[in-house]
Amino acid sequence: MEILKYACPQSTDEAFRLIREEHGTAIGGAAWLRTNTKTIALGVDLAGLGLGYVREIGDHIEVGAMTTYRELETNPLLRARFGALFETTVSHVVGVQLRNIITVGGTVAGRYGFSDLNTTLCALGAQAVFYPDQIIDLAQFIERGAEAPFLLEKVLLPASAKGTYHQMRISENDFPIINTTAVWTGSEWRIAVGSRPAATRLCPKAMALLGADPHPSDDILASAARAAADELQFGSDIRASAEYRREILPVLVRRALMEVRG
Amino acid sequence: MQNNDYPTPLPNDATLEATEKFNVVAHDLPKVDGEGLVLGRPAYTDDLVPPNALYVKLVRSPHAFARILSIDPTDALALPGVVCVLTWKDVPRIPITRAGQGNPEPSPHDRFILDEYVRYVGDEVAVVAAETEALAEKAAGLVKVEYQKLKPVLDFEHALDNPIVIHPEPGIHEMFPIGFEPKRNIAAAYHMEIGDVEQELAASPVKVETTVHTQAQQHVALEPHTAFSYIDLQGRLVIVTSTQNPWHTRRLLGLAFQMPLRQIRIVKPRIGGGFGGKQHIHVEPYVAMVTMKTGRPARLALTRREVFEATFTRHEMRVKVRLGANPDGKLRAIDMQVLSNTGAYGEHALTTFMVAGSKTLPLYNKVSAVRFGGHVVYTNKVSAGAFRGYGAIQGLTGLEAAMDELAHKVGIDPVELRRNNMLHEGETSEVFRIMGEGTEGVAMNIESCKLEECIARGKELIGWDFTQLVREVAPGVLRAKGMAIAMQGSGIPLIDMGSARIELQDGGFFKLHVGATDLGTGSDTILAQIAAEELGVDMADIVVYSSDTDHTPFDVGAYASSTTYVSGSAVLKAARSLKAKLIEAVAEKFGVAPKDIVYTQKTFMTADGTKSLSLNDFSYDTLYHDGEKMKTIEATESFSGSKSPPPYLAAFVEIEIDTETGKVNVVHYVAVADVGTPINPNLAKVQIEGGLLQGIGLALYEDVRYSEAGHMLSHNMMTYPIPSREDVGRITVELVDSYEPSGPFGAKSAGEIGIDTPPAAIANAIRNATGVRLTEYPFTPERVLAALKAAKTQHT
Amino acid sequence: MNITLRINGKLESIECLPGEMLTEVLRRAGHFEVKKGCDTGNCGACTVLVDGKPVLSCSYLAVRAEGKEVTTIQGLADEAKKFAAFLTAEGADQCGFCAPGFALTVLAMKDEFSSIPDEAQIRHYLAGNLCRCSGYEGQIRAIKKYLEAQHAE
Repeated sequence: MEILKYACPQSTDEAFRLIREEHGTAIGGAAWLRTNTKTIALGVDLAGLGLGYVREIGDHIEVGAMTTYRELETNPLLRARFGALFETTVSHVVGVQLRNIITVGGTVAGRYGFSDLNTTLCALGAQAVFYPDQIIDLAQFIERGAEAPFLLEKVLLPASAKGTYHQMRISENDFPIINTTAVWTGSEWRIAVGSRPAATRLCPKAMALLGADPHPSDDILASAARAAADELQFGSDIRASAEYRREILPVLVRRALMEVRG
Repeated sequence: MQNNDYPTPLPNDATLEATEKFNVVAHDLPKVDGEGLVLGRPAYTDDLVPPNALYVKLVRSPHAFARILSIDPTDALALPGVVCVLTWKDVPRIPITRAGQGNPEPSPHDRFILDEYVRYVGDEVAVVAAETEALAEKAAGLVKVEYQKLKPVLDFEHALDNPIVIHPEPGIHEMFPIGFEPKRNIAAAYHMEIGDVEQELAASPVKVETTVHTQAQQHVALEPHTAFSYIDLQGRLVIVTSTQNPWHTRRLLGLAFQMPLRQIRIVKPRIGGGFGGKQHIHVEPYVAMVTMKTGRPARLALTRREVFEATFTRHEMRVKVRLGANPDGKLRAIDMQVLSNTGAYGEHALTTFMVAGSKTLPLYNKVSAVRFGGHVVYTNKVSAGAFRGYGAIQGLTGLEAAMDELAHKVGIDPVELRRNNMLHEGETSEVFRIMGEGTEGVAMNIESCKLEECIARGKELIGWDFTQLVREVAPGVLRAKGMAIAMQGSGIPLIDMGSARIELQDGGFFKLHVGATDLGTGSDTILAQIAAEELGVDMADIVVYSSDTDHTPFDVGAYASSTTYVSGSAVLKAARSLKAKLIEAVAEKFGVAPKDIVYTQKTFMTADGTKSLSLNDFSYDTLYHDGEKMKTIEATESFSGSKSPPPYLAAFVEIEIDTETGKVNVVHYVAVADVGTPINPNLAKVQIEGGLLQGIGLALYEDVRYSEAGHMLSHNMMTYPIPSREDVGRITVELVDSYEPSGPFGAKSAGEIGIDTPPAAIANAIRNATGVRLTEYPFTPERVLAALKAAKTQHT
Repeated sequence: MNITLRINGKLESIECLPGEMLTEVLRRAGHFEVKKGCDTGNCGACTVLVDGKPVLSCSYLAVRAEGKEVTTIQGLADEAKKFAAFLTAEGADQCGFCAPGFALTVLAMKDEFSSIPDEAQIRHYLAGNLCRCSGYEGQIRAIKKYLEAQHAE
């Protein structure tokens, strides 16, 4: 993969200008560049912008776009507020060496279907903050993308939540066949499903069935799990058929819900 | 899955008998190259490339089947730094086989270095050389090729007698009758029958029929196929390559380029794994073409994608097994019919197909009738070739599935069914005599077979209780056990030959030169152990150099589990000869008869104790001090086996199956093996362990997938994942005491036996858990769930 | 373009293209201990440490290494030899192609954990280092023994 011109701006303002006005391509984790055969006229490296952080600001948590998966996996604040959710979400990704490189921003901006992280972020009700001041619901961004060249600065998370992530893979380090995260925010249930193989979607009908009751019955959990499979679309790819995805999703969702409910 | 709190097996503190018997052999000595490799010292082909080498890239076919109408290199050659673009016009039109096998090869000569037909997506079209890799890649993209697209044959079940003929060209031929009928898309065919199988089956009160379909598999040796070439001072072509068979490569290249063999030298440096994937010519012809055209060194390292798409895979096979037995489980007849898919070219076609029967059927030698037959067909997919197990894994997958079905049908413990029918020490099987590798076989009495001991110990380690093979560990999640037994061979009798030369050096150490090819297996180390044991010296006194056609004696190469048994026997013979020569020389110095010399602890003494001379001192005498009597003391010996004594293995697996999702995990895999004397027990065990994991990969994870147009979809390690260290719970490998009289210090082999059992053992465990017999590999969660559902529907 | 970085403690100035990854750059500079196994970031054979953290050099943009400290197994040769002794004693070493990357990751793991990791943690930390020759068992035994010996010191 070729980068014709490389820039490493030291201010977010400058980075944004290069992207908007000079057709620059943001370089986040850069792990995908190796398999990419296209040519990038102007690469805008975000590594100099100080966007690698996990911090609490007011009533939410901010995760900078250049925060690595490894940081998500090991960060004490995330563990304290979300339990093992982030660790289980990202730990299947290849190995620590790759997780020391790939970033939240790269994954979110890429809206990749196979992403595990996007599923958990959507389930948590994360918001994406685009420089300079646009805040968009992450699930909405994943579904619709952006119209103009953008610079993703950070992701906003709630201060805490209870959630678990479940998935199916053929082998441990493979891409997922399907994944799901179920979250009790403290006032409502949220369910997200990804790798359908298409990108993450929320399950509003299933969520509506669960409502605001922190302890739904087993039957209601099972109904919600089935509803999630009914309201989503699935496709076939090299790893699995649409039918299989539709078949096992209720199993995974049910298990995730039961684990969160207790 | 994670289950690393699985209880560690009962400790086996007992030392092997062999370890107590020998000083160096059967000891866990570290590999001679171990530290150097961990530190990453330059040792592999791509680390040694000469500084001004040209970079070579290949133009490859985007079509599964096509005729090349024209190749226009103009745009490519216009790039500064691009040195040449070579096509089929630049190489003699000589049909060869790329299979690394002895001469005459049992594989059809159906391949031209570059041809006017391309027969799979990725087939080579043109060779581009440039000053940098990036330039070569760019130039390869600029070569304009016009194709006449042809309709491909992609399903091996429809290849035979298909009106589309994949090899219509004249000039291709078999080297001796192998059933080669290219007009019917048949690369090879074979059948044999002992007794009357149909009659015996008809008379059998209990019958079983099982058909399994094993998929193609990729070797995924971590080092991609790489070679570089240059012209040496004497104007000879030297090729340094990641290969398993230097001599076959030299001979076949000589044939392809119509060059005398004395003009070619092949060197194998350290290589990063082979498993059969490098038991072929791969990129050597292309670097050779560039070097011969330009006079410059040339280097080609395949990308991982090219390794997947355009080297070799395992043969996909459909194996149908019919068994006839009595109600007590006594086997009366076995029929095995195989359809094998050799892809675009017929490398290893006949031999892998025959091994499916020749290295499985003898396990049950008490039958009255046994039959084996089938075809190997061409398809427009990447060529299938040699891969560890070499047909035995596919054949065993069918045979051991049928045996378990029989056990279920007659209601006895599958372990007892094996024990009541299997081969024992002192016995033989007619199959040995009839089925060889491409030719007739060699009769063999089994002088070592410890299957009983392997089974007994395996049962202990897994905790086998026939009355309790299955238990539920969580709602819908079952743990279940299954088993299988296996045999393989040790070299190809009367066909594989290895030689060794040992020479005394000043300083009292020995040079050991062997043609034998260390793929990372540690053969340099174990061959040195054999020499050290016989010569009564330490490992540090043996310096090994291997696999250089100019400097080491002949060896067919590393395949067919031959290195320990064949090459090792040559080393032992050479060491014995050398020892005799040393004693003779010292006896002459002392003026006594050789029988009056005692040699022990690196010292020669007369029997009466009056004279003594250390090996070290003698080494200086014979090279510097002894005037007219000075001479180099060396011995060269060769060995070709008159038999191929099988190693044996009993496998017991515990799986966990989630019946709601179909996910199957291996919790514990136990393998107990009889390899004869293990020259280095640790290295023998890790060979078996690695084979097991590859077999588990075939059973559960690995699949070679194609699009409808014949493009390989699983073309990198993202789309073809090999097992990681989080995929399997625990693998336990143990060896039992055994001694093979015909082997060096009692050794047989360990290279392939490990891979054979997992597909059958895992299928048998799933069958025990769920009552469902899965036969389509790999057992992905989707396949398993579908099979469970289908079975449920059948029963409602 | 030109980048200046420390490789195994030595300051080096290296030519590279903006889109190049660290693996090719390091091998061109003579660091053959960094291996190319898969081209897709799956195998771990290309592992190096950048400022002490294990990364896949095949997925690390070379220009980003400007001003950083890159360590290959050669940079930790003394410690690598200690670990290699345990590995070879278990007979766990085969073709060696995965070994430099795998050994480096083991050394990084040793430094990252304050106490001895258990088997599950070891397997997880090293999950990105694939080996096709072995079944991983001997490697795990070697790592456990090595870590115990380190802690005893």
